[in-house]
Amino acid sequence: MTAARATLASWWDGDLLYRFRRSPVAIVSLLVAVLLFAVALGADAIAPYDAFDPAAANVVDARLPPGSAGMYGETYLLGTDPQGRDMLSAMIYGLRTSLMVGLASVVLAALVGVLLGLVAGYFGGVLDAVIMRIADVQLSFPAILIALLIDGVTRTALPREVHDALAVPILVFAIAASFWVQYARTVRGLVLVERNREYVLAARVIGVSTPRILFTHILPNVLGPVLVIATINLALAILTEATLSFLGVGLPSTQPSLGSLVRIGNEFVFSGDWWISAAPGALLVLLSLSVNIFGDFLRDALNPKLAS
Amino acid sequence: MSFLLGRLGQTVLVLLVASFVAFALFRYVGDPVNNMVGQAASMADREAVRRALGLDDPMVVQFARFIGNALRGDFGISYRFGQPVAALIGERFPATLELSLISMVIATGLGVPLGVWTALHRGSVLSQVLLAVSLVGVALPTFLIGIALILIFSVGLGWLPSFGRGEVVALGGWTTGLLTVSGLKALVLPSVTLGVFQLALIMRLARAEMLEVMRTDFIRFAKARGLKPRAIEYRHALRNTLLPVITIVGLQFGNVFAFSIIVETVFQWPGLGLLVIQAIQFADVPLLAGYLVLIALCFAVINLAVDLAYVAIDPRVRGSRAAGRAT
Repeated sequence: MTAARATLASWWDGDLLYRFRRSPVAIVSLLVAVLLFAVALGADAIAPYDAFDPAAANVVDARLPPGSAGMYGETYLLGTDPQGRDMLSAMIYGLRTSLMVGLASVVLAALVGVLLGLVAGYFGGVLDAVIMRIADVQLSFPAILIALLIDGVTRTALPREVHDALAVPILVFAIAASFWVQYARTVRGLVLVERNREYVLAARVIGVSTPRILFTHILPNVLGPVLVIATINLALAILTEATLSFLGVGLPSTQPSLGSLVRIGNEFVFSGDWWISAAPGALLVLLSLSVNIFGDFLRDALNPKLAS
Repeated sequence: MSFLLGRLGQTVLVLLVASFVAFALFRYVGDPVNNMVGQAASMADREAVRRALGLDDPMVVQFARFIGNALRGDFGISYRFGQPVAALIGERFPATLELSLISMVIATGLGVPLGVWTALHRGSVLSQVLLAVSLVGVALPTFLIGIALILIFSVGLGWLPSFGRGEVVALGGWTTGLLTVSGLKALVLPSVTLGVFQLALIMRLARAEMLEVMRTDFIRFAKARGLKPRAIEYRHALRNTLLPVITIVGLQFGNVFAFSIIVETVFQWPGLGLLVIQAIQFADVPLLAGYLVLIALCFAVINLAVDLAYVAIDPRVRGSRAAGRAT
């Protein structure tokens, strides 16, 4: 108990929290991000109407401006979309989808990247050469292009119903496949240094198995930078998902994400119905900015050398 | 020299891999025959089309034929447009290249001076504001910038067109929108949209590099010699700042190319990006395959050119280059 309290105290007085408490920008961005996460988690309870219930959609109420009253006395705070759905509810569910895809792809990319980086850095040799060559080549292509092409190729390869059913996993895979390189390169570089440290040599001498050395001894020492990359990549992954869905190659329209909502709204920009695209767009910017700014703070606070 | 050979080998390898993916897609995705014949076609008709397309031959023969054709720029006939893929790509390429080049000119032309200025006036309020704005510029998704610009300048103010290229002039096989008023007007919103992210990036990079150079010993020495600040800043520091900036501008060109897909979709710009999105949506395999090979080639050329430029500009890298930056 006292030990736990001591850890907590040292955490509170530690460098990271000290910087955090003194940075209003970081506090605000984290608060906004946490709030958005909470809203996404509680979508079922918070959203005023069910965005997926066809009975809740009322075509008579289609494309009403923000603040309008509906046919049965509903109030649409942010207006309605072309199907007469409440924009606010659709956005809250869209936020959930966007966050889910973003988080899943970041986790997948981090898992693959960290594992490959550990292996490449610790064992070296041919394995290292092959992994890093692939990473080099992939790095010369923009992530968005790789994700687009992976999604595009699978979309072309699979029948439409199959692809629609698998849209989320495919999208997660496409985004993860374009982001793993950064983790692998960073972790490899760190492992190259760590593996010659005395604690690793000592562990080897007393006969600790290689996987154990990798995962319980080296891994905790390289997690800081991984966390930083993951935070910044979360914003990027969310934007990539939104962009792909906007282009019509991400999620099907039955699964609203912030990007596909903007896509729907884009068709009505010329009729002056700006809110259908502007509202989800603004939410997307808010989400991306808050995560991005917090990620920047983490990077500067945890490792100034990472700042590029 | 061995470094360049290594780079060349890598380039060829990338191209081969891309061609193989393209070929696999071409050959094994969907049923090309179904895409070409109508619902009422008989089995015999289908068989005839299959033979005409060479889909009966062994896989190795087909791949060899694919590579051979690709080398001659022949990627077959688009399912959707019924035209040769090479002709379609050639027709759309000028639009994309013009858009990318102009947006890069805007981004570099504004980004470098702004970055240098903010580095030299680090404390001033304006430079803080510029930095904050550039952070937003990096975080904003391209398609939202495009939609916002359309809402303001096309729908709201009615100043600029929101889609298409305007009038184009044909110069030989090249079509350009740079010579007509409507073409130039149509170029404004898409190129600004495409340039915003690059502008923010180049500005931040130029600023960081400038700050870095201003801290080095030779600048301190120049100050100690009593040179005028202006001479130090613009003659000594700026030159050394430009090298990494040029590299990034070159490498970013590939990114601009990729992001033009988004901008072209927002503005219905008749370029390669719009073409490939349509190819994906309509499962137009030959078109997608041709695009894959072309984009791999473009990136190979860009990366090679940047490396060559690097060697040419900076004598220091000639010796240590092979061991250094590997991308």
